[in-house]
Amino acid sequence: MSVGLLASATPEQELLLDSSSRFIERTMPLPSVRELAAGSGGVDARYHEAAGSLGWFGMLVGEEHGGGTVSGNGLLDAAAVAAERGGVLQPGSFATANVVAHLLAAEGSRHGEVLARLVAGRARATWAVGDVAGLTPGAGEIVAGEDGGGGFRLDGDVRHVPDAADCDLLVVTAHGPRGLTQFLVAADTPGVQARRMASLDITRRPGAVRFHDVRVGADAVLGAPGDATAARFEWQVGIAAVLTAAESVGAMHRDLEAAVEHAGTRIAFGRPIGSFQAVKHLLADLSLSLEMAKAVVSAAAESLGSEPPGSEPPGFGARDGVDLAHAAKAFVAEHGVELAHGCFQVFGGVGYTWEHDHHLFMRRLAADAVAFGSAQWHRDRLGERIGVG
Amino acid sequence: MRDIAAEHDSDVGAEHDDGDNAAPERDDSAAPEREVRAPAQALDEYRARARAWIEANLERGQASGLRRGDTDPAAIAAGRALQRRLYEAGYTGITWPREYGGQGLGPEYERAFQQEARGYRLPDLGIAGGTTFGVCAMTMLAHASADFLRRHIPRILAGEELFVQFFSEPEAGSDLAGVRTRAVRSGDGWVLNGSKIWSSGAYYADWGMCLARTDWDVPKHRGLTWFAVPVTAPGVTVERIRQITGDAEFCQEFFDDVVLGDGDVIGQVNDGWTVAQTMLMFERGGGLSHGTRTTGASTGVAPDLVELARATGRLADPLTRDLIVRAHVDDVARRALLARLGERMRTDPAQALHLASYAKLVSGVHDPIRADIAMRIGGADAVNWETVGADGACADGAHGDAVSGDAVNRDERPGDSPGPKVAVGFLNSRFMSIAGGTNEMQRNSIGERVLGLPREPSFDRGKPFREVLRDARGWSSARE
Repeated sequence: MSVGLLASATPEQELLLDSSSRFIERTMPLPSVRELAAGSGGVDARYHEAAGSLGWFGMLVGEEHGGGTVSGNGLLDAAAVAAERGGVLQPGSFATANVVAHLLAAEGSRHGEVLARLVAGRARATWAVGDVAGLTPGAGEIVAGEDGGGGFRLDGDVRHVPDAADCDLLVVTAHGPRGLTQFLVAADTPGVQARRMASLDITRRPGAVRFHDVRVGADAVLGAPGDATAARFEWQVGIAAVLTAAESVGAMHRDLEAAVEHAGTRIAFGRPIGSFQAVKHLLADLSLSLEMAKAVVSAAAESLGSEPPGSEPPGFGARDGVDLAHAAKAFVAEHGVELAHGCFQVFGGVGYTWEHDHHLFMRRLAADAVAFGSAQWHRDRLGERIGVG
Repeated sequence: MRDIAAEHDSDVGAEHDDGDNAAPERDDSAAPEREVRAPAQALDEYRARARAWIEANLERGQASGLRRGDTDPAAIAAGRALQRRLYEAGYTGITWPREYGGQGLGPEYERAFQQEARGYRLPDLGIAGGTTFGVCAMTMLAHASADFLRRHIPRILAGEELFVQFFSEPEAGSDLAGVRTRAVRSGDGWVLNGSKIWSSGAYYADWGMCLARTDWDVPKHRGLTWFAVPVTAPGVTVERIRQITGDAEFCQEFFDDVVLGDGDVIGQVNDGWTVAQTMLMFERGGGLSHGTRTTGASTGVAPDLVELARATGRLADPLTRDLIVRAHVDDVARRALLARLGERMRTDPAQALHLASYAKLVSGVHDPIRADIAMRIGGADAVNWETVGADGACADGAHGDAVSGDAVNRDERPGDSPGPKVAVGFLNSRFMSIAGGTNEMQRNSIGERVLGLPREPSFDRGKPFREVLRDARGWSSARE
């Protein structure tokens, strides 16, 4: 059963979600996620390529680059897939892979070959954004200076980068001489050093990247530095926020589902504990939060994704989509953790055991809550829409 | 707009599997052609005709806002007259069946008319009008006989008959199937005795849709029947109830040997719970599936709270701004939820009644939070304010406004202060958490019917209602 991010899916969307779910169930069910967490290696190349063949990394990319959408709204499709992924705590950063694919698609054919590999799942990409715009306090920032020969040199250390140590490609958002500048950098470029970070969320592999005198050519620049990149940045954060929130929604769905099942089977005082209103009403309230979370995330994806893929950054028309993305992330960041707390209370002692899956969901929801902007950060962005006079 | 405190208990269901089937079918009978898409040209022509009629016949302006405060009889009379003009022109009951005075058109026509009428004054029949069109008539269309519908629906559409709910009782609110108002067979008809309460707007309505017990020797859900009761019938007494806001929209009715006919029965005798389920769906927000779909797109950040913060000089305060954005985020999620529920109810009509509980619960939970935010932004200005007399001079504010309920001088008005509006919002903020089914009832419905959690043990299931009341009197304290 799908986690049901969409109130009603088209037959094509159902097919996409069904094939994605079956793939997950076959190759990376929760026991495998646990094994992966226990080991030191990441997910293997076959998983990634199979995911690519399902279309996971091409939904924000036009067909000319091997991508495509089943509904005409790639972000909506991607959010629905993200929710299925989140339900089984899938490894890898789906959000950043799609952000990078989207950015490269906007470059036309310039990065066609790299993009094709990315879409096919034969290359992996992530986004080193750091604390640009205050997105992640303490994450550090990259500074880009002109190298005198038409290229740039990048310096700095950024942390909290999804899958930093497992990726072939990095998109770096840096402060350059002409304002915010984004670069495409191969992970094996001299001076780039990626390392893993330990994480509360053991189902993911976040890391950090140090840039020390990294030289890149002018052709590594994505888009036009300055205002255009700043505008694009807002949209990128929106995409990452929506996809992260969608993964959270999947995790919320499965955690609640397990709590409901537990409440229906655990007997105390001669009756299933779910028959007590104290438990039933808690679960009903959490279910309301989940429905609201699904609604606001799919509304945000629908709105933000309604621009044609690969288009220029949105102007005024897409303001609603960006704002909805802020609202969706702000809502899910808080209610996801709240739901994990509520489910924990229903599970009782068993939820405190390593063997029970609940802690994996709780860890994930807490980590997602601060990835690509905390609730507070997203509310602050919305607060900027309020006049001051 | 609805019967406060009325709700079912969650006890229908496992044992009364007939209890759940009523709601979903109602759509088709209400608007049989709603699935038929209008050809664009026909719709355009309709829109043009509607626009021309609206321009020639309606005044510009907003609805008069009868929902707040005591309803003025002259305003209601004007509302009825305007309703009749719309009826005669064919702009009421646009999606309702033609044989009952409606137009039998698809929802896109209704939407087109509403769009064209934006900015014009439409009939405002107050709180009873909302109940008549949004709850009672919709329920009738699903369950009443053709004869009943032919008699009443055209008059409803013409503004001649306003219906309110006679649903809750002084001793039956959440446990709605436990009503004790009785209708006893007498000759060809029925004799009604008992009392109903929280019927909004009954004092100016024409009819009440009344749930009465017609069989005491069967379990509580099985011995109920709905009747249409004329408010002015001999034996009906209506008393108004003064609310905490000082308004008196709610009423209590007393029935003393009120004589009703078989033609006044709505639905089947002793099958009233089936009808009640439909009514509850509309109360909770079952009309969602008829509504315009919204994507939840933002319409600015909580404009009312921004305005309030500006008026109270707190707009630059970061904590205030965060409160405003918090309210906005919830607003956006609530709007998106309603759109989602409408969609889910369309694709899963069997679950519509229970899904509607989410729409109800979201208001019950979030309205008080939002009102609290407004109180925090309002600060002292939401608690105390100066009033202005009829002559514009400052008045002694110690008495005389709707919030105090002590209307010594109705001519006084609250100047420019945002206080009264915030204060009334605070006083009214628990309305949706109680009226039309408490939060607890919605949580039961969601818990048991959507999530599939086990049922609460019950002490009245399968028991003749007569015995239920007797046994409950023997309930003991844990300390005995």
